[in-house]
Amino acid sequence: MNAFDDTFKFAATDLRKILDPALSRGGDFAEIYGEYRHFNFINMEEDIIKETAETISLGLGIRVICGDKTGYGYTNDLSLDKIRRAALSAAAISSGKGARSIPRFQPVRIKRALYPVKEPFHDTGFSQKIELVKKVYLACQKSSQKIKKVKVTLQDHVRHVVIVNSAGLLARDARPQVRLICTAIAEKGKRREIGFSGGGGRVGLEYFRDVLTPEQIGKEAAEEALTLLQAVEAPAGEMPVVLAPGHSGVLVHEAVGHLLEADFNRKKTSIFWNKLGKKVGTELVTIYDDPTIPSFRGSYAVDDEGTVPRKTLLIEKGRVVSFLQDRLSAQLMGSSLTGHGRRQDYTCIPFPRMSNTYIERGEDDPDDIIKSVAKGIYAEKFEGGQVEDSGKFTFSISSGYLIEEGRLAAPIKQATLIGTNIDILRKIVMVGSDLSFGLQTGTCSKEGQEVPVTDGCPTIKISLMTVGGQR
Amino acid sequence: MKKKARAKELEQLAEKLVRFGLKSGADEVEVTISDDREFSLDVRLAQIENLLEAGSRAVGLKVIKDKKTAFAASSDLSQETLRRLVKNAVARAELANRDECAGLPLVFSENSNTAALDLFDPEIGELEPDRKIRLALDTERIALKDKRITNSHGASLVTNEVLTVLANSKGFMGSCEQTFCSLSLGLQAGETDNKVEDYWFSTERFFKRLEPPELLARKAVERTVRLLNPRKIKTQAVPVIFEPQMTAWLLGFLFACVSGMAVYQKATFLAGRLGTRIGNGKVTVIDDGLVPGRLGTRPFDTEGVACQKTTVLEKGILRQYLCNTYAGRKLDLPSTGNADGAGVSPNNFYLVPGSLSAEEIIASTERGFILTRTIGHGLNPATGDISRGAFGLWVEKGEVVYPAAEVTVSGNLENILKNIEAVGNDLDFRTAVCGPTIKIAELIVAGE
Repeated sequence: MNAFDDTFKFAATDLRKILDPALSRGGDFAEIYGEYRHFNFINMEEDIIKETAETISLGLGIRVICGDKTGYGYTNDLSLDKIRRAALSAAAISSGKGARSIPRFQPVRIKRALYPVKEPFHDTGFSQKIELVKKVYLACQKSSQKIKKVKVTLQDHVRHVVIVNSAGLLARDARPQVRLICTAIAEKGKRREIGFSGGGGRVGLEYFRDVLTPEQIGKEAAEEALTLLQAVEAPAGEMPVVLAPGHSGVLVHEAVGHLLEADFNRKKTSIFWNKLGKKVGTELVTIYDDPTIPSFRGSYAVDDEGTVPRKTLLIEKGRVVSFLQDRLSAQLMGSSLTGHGRRQDYTCIPFPRMSNTYIERGEDDPDDIIKSVAKGIYAEKFEGGQVEDSGKFTFSISSGYLIEEGRLAAPIKQATLIGTNIDILRKIVMVGSDLSFGLQTGTCSKEGQEVPVTDGCPTIKISLMTVGGQR
Repeated sequence: MKKKARAKELEQLAEKLVRFGLKSGADEVEVTISDDREFSLDVRLAQIENLLEAGSRAVGLKVIKDKKTAFAASSDLSQETLRRLVKNAVARAELANRDECAGLPLVFSENSNTAALDLFDPEIGELEPDRKIRLALDTERIALKDKRITNSHGASLVTNEVLTVLANSKGFMGSCEQTFCSLSLGLQAGETDNKVEDYWFSTERFFKRLEPPELLARKAVERTVRLLNPRKIKTQAVPVIFEPQMTAWLLGFLFACVSGMAVYQKATFLAGRLGTRIGNGKVTVIDDGLVPGRLGTRPFDTEGVACQKTTVLEKGILRQYLCNTYAGRKLDLPSTGNADGAGVSPNNFYLVPGSLSAEEIIASTERGFILTRTIGHGLNPATGDISRGAFGLWVEKGEVVYPAAEVTVSGNLENILKNIEAVGNDLDFRTAVCGPTIKIAELIVAGE
């Protein structure tokens, strides 16, 4: 059927021939992770389809765990000899004698279809994809004469994985992923501003007909750039901040999500390590990470260690309830698996990561939230954010508005919000009833590994936060 | 397999793919093959945490037909896959639009003496694992002896040996062998709810040139503990001193703004500004791909164009954009040997140092903020606007008085470059993009 099935059609005896050397020096656990990815890429700018690309990424990683130590080897030469050599590299983490027996392999049963794709991108010809790209491009360009530059890219890939471990697990997954992005540059006099929009997820061609049209994407990017042409400098200093629904989920991701990843807590580097069961935020704050939302960019049927994931309650009414676990941390912390062991690709060791993270809806009317602020800012879209384990985080507003006397006023230019996570969680004073998710285009980076994620939140009011603007 | 034999094997494969591309109907073909050997080690709290050793190969292809371009890449090097990718690329090129600027360069590097550039350390491939483990463990151990350090992110040691072969249908064939190694250490100080953290690192091409563990550990400890017990500061406009790592960060943003790709796309505020003043007389910025032994050094770029020394800013005047062949053709400028895949990247991109020491610069500051680290995004090449979360130290009467937390700095790149008051003498090429300590007359620092 495809190169993946041909390549990774290991017989059970072959698997043993790899796992045996992996455990030959006494590791507790060994795992084979095989991956085949097929990417396609289209780039349109300056009114032409400028380039296309096709990429194949094929390889296999072998992990050996010994206590809290991990050995890893990988290869993209899939001869048994080279694979066994990678297994021996991984085995070097341990220095005892191997005598572990491996049980019969049991296939992991996947009960829910998370990628309900009708018209898969990988079965769609380049000509049809080019048509889609052109629609976005034209919609953006036609929005206004002030739009001077448009760039549209379409990336799609399928990632086939097979995971086999010495506990007898055998899991397979084939995850589609699409991302359609439009960037617009608007000019007025000497001013030049960038707007951005996009969409996608684990979806098929039908998504861009039924859910989000290419025209919408193009227009939104143009509108953002045009709005920014009118933007004033953001203020600087401490003030109330209202977060718009959807895109502001990046705050949940940065301020809270990362520090609930189990590895940071096992190592006691996260500010949350001694706060399980403790109250860290107001009653209004309930946070989930859910890898099982159908079609979402951050979803998966099994994680990159073969665990079937579950919707995980992280913070319930301000109290820390659980951490995001991978196999190693769950083992060392005596916790159950949540299915959050992810990796960028076969060259990488998996560790706990977020998938689709969001703040649960509250009861406030979004309009009342804005009305409650005499002077502050309304943060609408973000470039991204960053956190360190001590809890300090930032996130960068790419578009937003001033709030004056309970109303949205002038749009503001780029600004940075900075805070400490527990401080912010205690300052969440209103939570709207309008939960939504950001663009299905996000990528999260941790220790150099990138994975696709989504985040979401309702309208939220933070009573006081430091804003870094230019006036 | 011996080095020479390995290079030979990859060169033959590259030539074969070029020929196959032409036979399949391409007008021009470019093939890149890389062979990377990676070793990576993390130790934490005196134990090995992760140990990784691996080798991998990858092929990159570019085909041009009727001035239409298609790319392909693969880590599956089987003949069947590679041939299919070449054929698909030729067929796909037909679907793109004609682009008069597309195509391979006309002039290629003749620099065959890569040995003079000092890029390859034969010792790296021969290092015993135990020696590397000891080095990482020692580094962390020295730091942990300091009682103010309360937790560790661990020490990491990474080495890479990379062989790259580039061949194209114009007859260029080049290969380059390089090594990289880095040692880093991340630390925390203070108790759980009042923790601070920082790190230090050394990256070199030669193992022997890595900073010794004592020095690296001491620097990581100093950088971390100086952040303890921070205070909030009032929102104000004050002189801001950038430590060398922060100047490097600022230069990274400058690079994004002088990149020929961003210029022809009008995605940078510096488009159309050649020959004009964008900084004051203290600002001279160079991109130099030929400084022996440095991290950003290479004989030729990924298109086979010779690397060179380019003056980007001369005493504040914007002199050149950094281009690959494509951006160069778009802008009617020469390639500066900065091609990197389909885009451009810096070689050794640095701010020319001045004569003052960092200590002298601090001592000359009545009140101000020393920027030691930034966090987050917040760089807009279209406008030059900067807004970032910041860590730093507050200065009164020429001395550091306390660390400042929950601060943001914001400004505009052009304003910053025009308001540089002092340029330090401490340029150390620690990273490919780098600079010395600098002092900016005034920036907005937001706090309370």
